[in-house]
Amino acid sequence: MHSKRYIYTFVLVMTAVVALVLALMATGLADIHERNAAIYNKKAILSAVDNYLEQPSSVLSDEQVMEIFDQQVEQVVVDAGGDPVEGRLAEDVDLAKEKDKPEAERHYPIYILNSPKGKVYIFSVRGNGLWDAIWGSIAIEDDFSTIAGVAFDHAGETPGLGAEIKDNPSFPAQFVGKEIYEGDGDYVSIKVRKGGAKDPVHEVDAISGATVTCDGVSEMMYRGLKNYEPYIDRVKK
Amino acid sequence: MELVNIFIKSAFIENMVLTYFLGMCSYLAVSKTVKTAFGLGLAVIFVLGITMPINWLINNYLLAEGGILGQDLTFLRLILFIAVIASMVQLVEMVIEKLSPSLYNSLGIFLPLITVNCAILGGNLFMVTREYNFTESVAFGLGGGFGWFLAIIAIAAIREKIRYSNVPAPLRGLGMAFIITGLMGIAFLSLLGIDPAAF
Amino acid sequence: MAETTQLEKPAIKKREPLFGPKERKLLTDPLNDNNPITVQVLGICSALAVTTLVWPSFIMAIAVVFVCAFSSLFTSLLRKSIPKQVRMIVQLVIIATLVTIVEMTLRAVDYAVSRQLAVFIGLIITNCIVMGRLEAFAMANKPWRSFLDGVGNGLGYGGILLAVAVVRELFGKGSLFAGSPIEWKIIGPSADYMLNTTTISWLGWYQNNNLMVLSCAAMFIIGVFIWIHRSWNPKLVDVS
Repeated sequence: MHSKRYIYTFVLVMTAVVALVLALMATGLADIHERNAAIYNKKAILSAVDNYLEQPSSVLSDEQVMEIFDQQVEQVVVDAGGDPVEGRLAEDVDLAKEKDKPEAERHYPIYILNSPKGKVYIFSVRGNGLWDAIWGSIAIEDDFSTIAGVAFDHAGETPGLGAEIKDNPSFPAQFVGKEIYEGDGDYVSIKVRKGGAKDPVHEVDAISGATVTCDGVSEMMYRGLKNYEPYIDRVKK
Repeated sequence: MELVNIFIKSAFIENMVLTYFLGMCSYLAVSKTVKTAFGLGLAVIFVLGITMPINWLINNYLLAEGGILGQDLTFLRLILFIAVIASMVQLVEMVIEKLSPSLYNSLGIFLPLITVNCAILGGNLFMVTREYNFTESVAFGLGGGFGWFLAIIAIAAIREKIRYSNVPAPLRGLGMAFIITGLMGIAFLSLLGIDPAAF
Repeated sequence: MAETTQLEKPAIKKREPLFGPKERKLLTDPLNDNNPITVQVLGICSALAVTTLVWPSFIMAIAVVFVCAFSSLFTSLLRKSIPKQVRMIVQLVIIATLVTIVEMTLRAVDYAVSRQLAVFIGLIITNCIVMGRLEAFAMANKPWRSFLDGVGNGLGYGGILLAVAVVRELFGKGSLFAGSPIEWKIIGPSADYMLNTTTISWLGWYQNNNLMVLSCAAMFIIGVFIWIHRSWNPKLVDVS
């Protein structure tokens, strides 16, 4: 049997050793972790503009992702009035955190891709699916109406149903070429319609069995892009 | 309403056992009779309900970058969480023994088992990744525990009856328990259509 | 692993061979007669939710083998100095430390997979198979043997994990190793797949089975695995 004193010493020494090992490792790997997280997010953004890249985003190496961001992507942050915010990079804006601020103080990230195949504006949107948050990057051509591509992701939609917004490439592919403005200036966004799209310009087909998630996508598209309306109006002029 | 939503979701639709396989070991080992299953189920609700808010406080005020230590200590999360769970289980055991010896006798042997019940640590980690706030994490803990309780009672009742059926010998016992769990999971999937906003 | 082998060599060689029949048994027993999942029913908890795809399951299996082997090794090295009263906590701390190391390494090496596995890597801590082997074996045996026992049980566990994942991904998505550098598309309705169901006329009826993507499928598959395993090895049949 061990004495009380032995037990305390043992536990203390063990705690110290473990904490030291983990702390060393955590600090040593912190930079790599940060870089990986940044590349993961950048790749997700680029996946909305696959048509504008020389290779699809899924096969890009980490270095290529960084290179595209360095050379072709301009990062802009705008406030609720559509005016640019100085000294803040788009990649530092987290929409989940902006949501907790009063509406007038929110900031929105914009990534502008100047690729050899054209100029596109990538807007970030966030909303709610059936169970949890859904979010996405919406790329719009420089007429500020035609969708160049979209990419969605989700925190916990049902695999095979709601999760198809990300997993099934044919869902985001439907958005390409649709328009968010009617004629010369009425904002209508894109609607995901259950039972099949009726309007060829502003609607896409829903995923069967995932009505709530799809309604969430419609809502997210409408509200999310509306946040950028002041910016679009300003730039169009 | 948000809280009811989380409770319903964690108890029925994202049931710990039937959709995430958390707490399977004790779920399979202690589900031979309804009586023992009942005791273990209660204990799980209890421990999940207690550890969730404690670990929430630890995670948000001690480990997070904006916490009182001002350092990002999230790499210690796993160790601290499991230590809290182990000590809470011990504490709960002592309190119950003092307050209600009869409850202690019926729960007694299952309490230490709960430390290594993945449903507890799993619930606590889900709370972190889903960024629940304090009250939400309490609702999630109670809901998750209740879902686990329901699942183990149900399978124990089924296993009591299936003993009289003519199951192929190699499938008897464990094999059958897995298949029943799978079928129960499909039954729980039908709850997916519920719109939590209706509550 | 090679390092450990060399460290242990001089101490053990005096009495018995480093890798004799006993050691081999430690490695192979958990693969069949004493399989952690189909026989001991341990450690089903955390990992089966990740078996929809082969690649994350493969990573998960490696992580479990690593944690199982090294926690056995360290526990066995410390077995005489661990105070009885705090035994469980000490074991948990050893496991939790190793799991944190695995988690951090994975986040540095393959970030996308670590996002996919999310909490399930952390749940290796409460994987009963790890704790179970520490209590049942490592606390009473020499380091080298405990290490082998850990590797064996990790492999027995990982094997079932991979087998389940192969069935689920093949029939659920028509591919293998999706999301990895060696993605292999097998059957599906486009030219990317080896068997293109739109051009091979006798395969036109083929559809991916959505049940396989649901978590319930894992239960059925393990149930059937147990059935097959016990029919083939009748001494394991549950007589109660």
